[in-house]
Amino acid sequence: MSKSKIIKVLSMTIVVIALIWTLYPLMWIVFSSFKTPIDQFTIPPKWIPENFTLRNYKIFFSNTEFVRAFFNSIIVTAFSTILALILGIPAAYGLARFKWKHASLLSFIILLARMTPPIVMVLPFFLISRILNISGTYIPIILASSFFSVPFAVWMMQGFFSEIPESIEEAAMIDGCTRFESLRKIVLPLVLPGISATSILCALVSWNEFLFALILTGQETRTLPVLVNMFVSEKNVDWGVMSAAALITVIPMIIFGLLVQNNLVKGLTAGSGK
Amino acid sequence: MQFKNKDVGYVLPTLIFIISIFLIPIVYTIVISFFNWNLLRPDLGIRFVGLQNYTKAFRDSFTWETMGRTFYFVIVSVLLEIIFGFMIALSLNTEFKGWKVVQSIILIPFMIAPVVVGFVWKFVLNNDYGPLPQLLMNIGFGFIAENPLLANPNSAMFMVILADVWEYTPFVTLVLLAGLKALPQEPYEAAYVDGASAIQRFFYITLPLLRPSIMVAIVIRTLTSLRVFDTIFIMTGGGPGSATETLSFYGYRTAFQSYQMGYSSAINLISFFLAIVFTLIYMKILGWDNNE
Repeated sequence: MSKSKIIKVLSMTIVVIALIWTLYPLMWIVFSSFKTPIDQFTIPPKWIPENFTLRNYKIFFSNTEFVRAFFNSIIVTAFSTILALILGIPAAYGLARFKWKHASLLSFIILLARMTPPIVMVLPFFLISRILNISGTYIPIILASSFFSVPFAVWMMQGFFSEIPESIEEAAMIDGCTRFESLRKIVLPLVLPGISATSILCALVSWNEFLFALILTGQETRTLPVLVNMFVSEKNVDWGVMSAAALITVIPMIIFGLLVQNNLVKGLTAGSGK
Repeated sequence: MQFKNKDVGYVLPTLIFIISIFLIPIVYTIVISFFNWNLLRPDLGIRFVGLQNYTKAFRDSFTWETMGRTFYFVIVSVLLEIIFGFMIALSLNTEFKGWKVVQSIILIPFMIAPVVVGFVWKFVLNNDYGPLPQLLMNIGFGFIAENPLLANPNSAMFMVILADVWEYTPFVTLVLLAGLKALPQEPYEAAYVDGASAIQRFFYITLPLLRPSIMVAIVIRTLTSLRVFDTIFIMTGGGPGSATETLSFYGYRTAFQSYQMGYSSAINLISFFLAIVFTLIYMKILGWDNNE
């Protein structure tokens, strides 16, 4: 029995190390966001702020550029997520139920779209939006964000739809439902947890997206990651304000992400359940 | 239950979307890659040069260097993530009080924007104001941090890998943990009756049964780390020199710093080609193509 005890102690040790490893940089940012500039620049660095202050958060929220970027991030995320759901859910349903020989080719293209590096897409997006004279508006950045979330939504929802037995729908259709009615009244309520997980993961991807936003947004449409970049690359970084900005950027997504963590694996490895 | 022709309507809008937002831009990129086009020199116009951009890219040793660095980054970071992820997943799989809370905390880095991850590590590694060089000094490893960690060509790449490992180990943990929880119990019971040791059970049962999950984690991580950009951009900007410049970064620089549209397209299509190869591998592993 001592052997299982060894395993237990070993496991707990690994878990504790993993926790410290995860929290070490995070807690540093949290503490720094409450530090005054003087505490920020003490050498050697101190963890706990001597004078706890909300200055950094005040600066963030009184800076119109930050607030604007926050607002832009919400717009881009909301629109691209809605687009992903509107396009993705019916397509996923079709693909899950299709017995069509080109369905697999279509699935391949959708998966490839999800796997393509952003750098490959950002140049044509940039040039095409110049040609169409829409650069700097919300349109290219929303479309570019959807470029990832639409294929992602299709792929993820397909897994959820495949799990619903077709016999349920057949029964409903025998009772006189059309296919659309059976989808709306029977299937959709059953995959609701999947829809919520999908939308949150799509939102996560759009909210965190950087390269598209860096190239495709203008001064008016900058999102939070772009602004974080701008301030980090400055010569004199105000580490306190940046820490506050970083936390404000990540907290909404951490909360959302933790809400769907049980469905996360499914979305990330989606398609394997077929 | 057969789909009728009119039911194509479920898939059609997405099909149109994918064509217009993915296939058309890709075709456009392929076309541009045959041209010499510099945005800063409109006077030169857009000249057809055939395969010149490709021969230039493949002859230039810098392209191969960035590719080498990309693979180095991918191999080291994915390897570390799989090892650490596996260790953490196995530890979390033994039931203990509060493991759910622990799991939630360990998951957090994965939710954080890569740009912010870059900032966090840039700050933590900062030689003057960051805590990590100080910690190294205090525990007697000060020689590691003698030179600024991110400004030293020998350590910069490893620091970037460190940030990537921090961000994506949770993903591997999560995939493997889900795989572990889904393992059938019978083989373990049989092995227990036969008196197999814990180590034997691990190597003869857990590891083979978990192979699909491990493969999925490896392929997805490989695909996503091949395109690494954000974290490197913030932490080092590809430097010092070009010590952390990857393929994506090279594509970015040629397009948006030296404005060579054609040449950048050719380089980016190399990245695209790699994505196709790994996507096919991914589908093979998932047994997706024998689904007809």
